[in-house]
Amino acid sequence: MTVVAAATVASTLAACGGSDEGGGSSGGGENEASDTGVTETSIKLGAHYPLTGVAAPGYSEIPTGVKAYFDCLNKEGGVYDRTVEFIYKDDAYNPAQTSQVTNELVLNDEIFAMMSGLGTPTHSAVVDFLNDEGVPDLFVSSGSLMWGDDPETYPMSFGWQTDYESEGKIIGEYIANEFPDAKVGLFLQDDDFGEDGEAGIRQYIDDQIVAAERYTPGNTNVGPQIAALKAAGADFVVGFNVPSYTALSQLTALQLGYQPQWFYSNVGSDPNLVGGLLNRFSEGKVTDAALLDGALTTGYLPTVDMTDNPWITEFQRIWQECGGEGELTNYRVYGMSQAYTMTQALQAAGQNPTREGLVEAVEAVGGEWEGPVFAPFRYSEDSHMGTSGMTIERIVGNGSEEVQGVRVTDIGDAEIEEFDGEAATPPANAIPEEEAYEG
Amino acid sequence: MDYFVNVTITGLTQGMIYAAFALALVLIWRSTRIVNFAQGSMAAATTFIALSLIQAGASYWVALVVALASGFVLGAIVERVIIRPVEGGPELNAVIVTLGLFVAIQAAIAIIFGSSFQSFPTPFGVRGFEIGETTIPLTPTSLYVIGAVLVTMALLVALFRFTRVGLAMRASAFSQEVARLLGVKVGGMLTLGWGLAAVVGSLSGLLIAGGTFVYPAYMDSLIVFGFVAAIIGGLDSPVGAIVGGLILGLALSYVSGYAPRGSALVTISALVILIGVLLVRPGGLFSSTTARRA
Repeated sequence: MTVVAAATVASTLAACGGSDEGGGSSGGGENEASDTGVTETSIKLGAHYPLTGVAAPGYSEIPTGVKAYFDCLNKEGGVYDRTVEFIYKDDAYNPAQTSQVTNELVLNDEIFAMMSGLGTPTHSAVVDFLNDEGVPDLFVSSGSLMWGDDPETYPMSFGWQTDYESEGKIIGEYIANEFPDAKVGLFLQDDDFGEDGEAGIRQYIDDQIVAAERYTPGNTNVGPQIAALKAAGADFVVGFNVPSYTALSQLTALQLGYQPQWFYSNVGSDPNLVGGLLNRFSEGKVTDAALLDGALTTGYLPTVDMTDNPWITEFQRIWQECGGEGELTNYRVYGMSQAYTMTQALQAAGQNPTREGLVEAVEAVGGEWEGPVFAPFRYSEDSHMGTSGMTIERIVGNGSEEVQGVRVTDIGDAEIEEFDGEAATPPANAIPEEEAYEG
Repeated sequence: MDYFVNVTITGLTQGMIYAAFALALVLIWRSTRIVNFAQGSMAAATTFIALSLIQAGASYWVALVVALASGFVLGAIVERVIIRPVEGGPELNAVIVTLGLFVAIQAAIAIIFGSSFQSFPTPFGVRGFEIGETTIPLTPTSLYVIGAVLVTMALLVALFRFTRVGLAMRASAFSQEVARLLGVKVGGMLTLGWGLAAVVGSLSGLLIAGGTFVYPAYMDSLIVFGFVAAIIGGLDSPVGAIVGGLILGLALSYVSGYAPRGSALVTISALVILIGVLLVRPGGLFSSTTARRA
């Protein structure tokens, strides 16, 4: 029943002229098969995603974005004249299957590094294995703290997106400032995702929270939970939930005639996906088609509706030239942005990269990289946390408008500050040019 | 008080959905004495057929009729082609075959219709009725579900109690040899039983899907609850299936609504209820006398 989708990028090498644009500073040495998964002409990366099952909507599009980016990158010569091969497999969001496909990737396909493995429960099942095997585990697609807050335990793992606790803090501060009289209800996924978000948000508005309701993924009846939020008198609901539960919570609220101000954390708020799910009910039944209209959310990446954002322009071009069927979506933008960061990491690891060298390079220079994400990464020897900054946005139709600029923070009791940096613009062809890190 | 009412109504409507699925299980059990694990994915298959018709512009009711008809055909084919060869052997064989079928059909749905989440429309509204100032979580769609399940139950009771076909089906299921001696075309009755059960299964699939989301495995969690409801009710009685569904729906809604971290306890509660009922009444609440059971 498992549909194993394995896609590898075209293996033709399109290096022209022999010049080494990819790395910026090659020094003219020869390419060597310097480590597992690296040959003179290719470098192999692996990942696991839910391509089927309850978590597949949206998330299954991420690898198509990653792959499109690498395909276009390979056309321009790859990294140090090596093509990037990207192998991804379906784990159906089932940790047992994540272990199985990760074993295949590491032992069978012999990948150089893991990148973008998706999901907290799923990736938790393989994080020990990857670290024990010494496989770099870069840019996990999950905002859990565990990939980044303890590099001593997991020296090979790195987060990428804003962690849920920092996100909760930024949301909490915003509510404290802008909605000081709101009675806040929390709608939480009953795992690390909801717990981290709750911990962050409670730092700022503990006294405003009137109810915290948890749902178990897989149990699609959230009637009692939404009814409890209503009964507690919450007029402002913050959801740390996945997209399908955004749709379910909206439908249930409709049944109950419950109309609080909604605030969905970044993960659950894609207006295209959720709106698409809810739209069908608009055929004469739900009069306001855009149920999510007016809901608040957070952002750390440009979204497809920002048509004048130069990154989105470039990603549109990449999707048209190297992508597959369908439109560019926010999930594909996410995948492309991760692939961009991965390219930076591979360039920084130098002409003949090793697994250890890759991790060292990310620790040493990853904090300086610029890219599509709004705020810098926190990578250092002491922290493997990803980006830390978020905007607050209001959903309008299928897009959103910014209501608060980028603010940055960190886990624990770190202050929240305004981000004073400039938004980065993409380099030519949206291919980074990082120097090799020499150590 | 409002909260109690809301949780109760949510439980009742959810219970009716379990009952819908349990009815299909009861029907196939009464007419063939097989527990059909593939029921869920067969229902999902016909729901996806209906969905693709609706997406192509057909009305809900046309899609409903086509889904029920294709359910009948699917049930009959499954019986003739896949179940027939293992019929008459140890009972377990047929049950294991239905388990395999469950997985195979689900995979086929994913291949044909894709594995993404899709919303399934409903012909009625999804907003709760307003009573005075408050809104109760009872929607026109849930009334439609309740009505459809009750009508189906009445039809099934009538079929088995008042028609010759129903009698012949029960006889074939109960003792093939005796039925055959008495002139019942047992093969035809078994096929009919599977076909009708699949029709009811298809209906339950559509009722469950209406106003919410479908993906190839959307019936999975309901299969468990549907089985529990059917077994609480005795697996033999259409009325029992309804009562079992309502008991389960209410109990799970109260657990979810009142126990701390209740949502996580729902599945385990269903199994605790099941064990409790079976300990007190091993045949289920509405079982007929043990002497009659094969």
